[in-house]
Amino acid sequence: MKYLSMLLLAWLTAFQAGQDIYICKNAKINLYSSAPIEDIEANSSQAVSVYKASTGELSFSLPIRSLHFEKSLMEEHFNENYMESDKYPKASFKGMVLSPPDISKDGTYPVNVTGDLEVHGVKQARTIKGEIKVNGGVISMTSEFIVKCADHKIDIPQIVFHHIAENIRIRVAATYAPYKN
Amino acid sequence: MKKSIILIALLALCIGVKAQKTDTAKKEPSADSLMNSLSAGDDKHAYILSAFKATRLIFSPTTEMVRKKNLNFLVIHRFGDIATGPGGARTLFGLDAVNDVYIGFEYGVSDNFNINFGRSTIGQLVELQLKYALLHQTNDNSSPLGIALMGGTGVRPYGNFASFSDRLSYIAQAVFSRKFTQALSLEVSPVFVSDNQPIPNEAGNENSFFSLTAAGRLKVTKHMSILVDWEHPFSSYRTGTNGFQDPLGFGAEFETGGHVFTLNFTNARAVSQINSLSNSQASWGRGEYRFGFTISRMFDFNRKKEKKW
Repeated sequence: MKYLSMLLLAWLTAFQAGQDIYICKNAKINLYSSAPIEDIEANSSQAVSVYKASTGELSFSLPIRSLHFEKSLMEEHFNENYMESDKYPKASFKGMVLSPPDISKDGTYPVNVTGDLEVHGVKQARTIKGEIKVNGGVISMTSEFIVKCADHKIDIPQIVFHHIAENIRIRVAATYAPYKN
Repeated sequence: MKKSIILIALLALCIGVKAQKTDTAKKEPSADSLMNSLSAGDDKHAYILSAFKATRLIFSPTTEMVRKKNLNFLVIHRFGDIATGPGGARTLFGLDAVNDVYIGFEYGVSDNFNINFGRSTIGQLVELQLKYALLHQTNDNSSPLGIALMGGTGVRPYGNFASFSDRLSYIAQAVFSRKFTQALSLEVSPVFVSDNQPIPNEAGNENSFFSLTAAGRLKVTKHMSILVDWEHPFSSYRTGTNGFQDPLGFGAEFETGGHVFTLNFTNARAVSQINSLSNSQASWGRGEYRFGFTISRMFDFNRKKEKKW
């Protein structure tokens, strides 16, 4: 009986090895900036993320052009003048979840993720707070953090009438599925 | 004995499991390459951004469209001659005189279809135009050009005309644009103009003729560009010996987020292409050039989307 349980455990480990990589193809990104004239907000649900549960490796990639604003002119200015998305089409994050939680147990785990955030072609080493939720084998992550325009060499020209704030709040939400090859 | 056999068997199993584990690890792509393959391809055939900043340069329309549910309000001005008799300091280099004022509205029915409406001082010409974006230039050059088609009609409600149909003019044009670099965009546009009563109404003048316009924009800073715009009618009547001149304009365009201002100098007095192509007799060489400006203000009528967060 003892051996049987050991056997079972061994098989379980093997089973888990096959489900170590989790992917999300429709991670949601929300960008919000409070400006004196009007608040500026954009959403995308086309970010891609890969999470390796055993090591905690975590990466995100966001096509900048997939961020949609309420006003088309804002979107154009954002792409053309601030993000220069023809030159830098993607924003990405590549890092590690520090002490990754055991995903075999349901629960909500506050985590710290450390790595490089690349926006507008400029990499910044960041440690970002987030939350990993495991519920019946489904992994989801959320995070909220601030990006300073100056950190990524995004300049805000004085000539522009509706000013964009210096700090942009970013919210991320991703629900992962096991990667099958 | 039995115990040890089971143990060995278990050990073997574990090794087997381990081997399987490394096997699957080999089959599994690294998180990095997986990331690359997942996020590759989402920029394919993406439209390039802003070959031009506004729907008009100095004379010519561009391939830029007014987006869906947006309204572009245009005020275009051409002042009096700077350097000839009526110009000079006395009229503040033509600023006291107004040659043509155009007030127009351009509405985006969809991202690719616009309705333009406007009225000029010269001939009190009221115009209605439809504009359709046939092709957008893409990042990967799967489409190297942007093409917009435009057709319109103008009516001159005042003045002496023999019949109502004589008041009508038509214009049709195709605009071909290409953004060559981040800074440089050029366009050419074949134009067909037809005035039911020739303008000017003189013997030998034609009702209909083809023209070509060529224009360019060079981005100097993020918010400022310089513009050149040139029009040439192919007409046996509209020649230098008959006193006609090709409209030629130079300008600077300033984008301020919501507004686009163009300050320009042109020889042409008219704003509307029907007028400027049909009858431009002012000459740079004779000092008949003037200051002008365009103000383009975009209004967005897209309803605020519900917050998803």
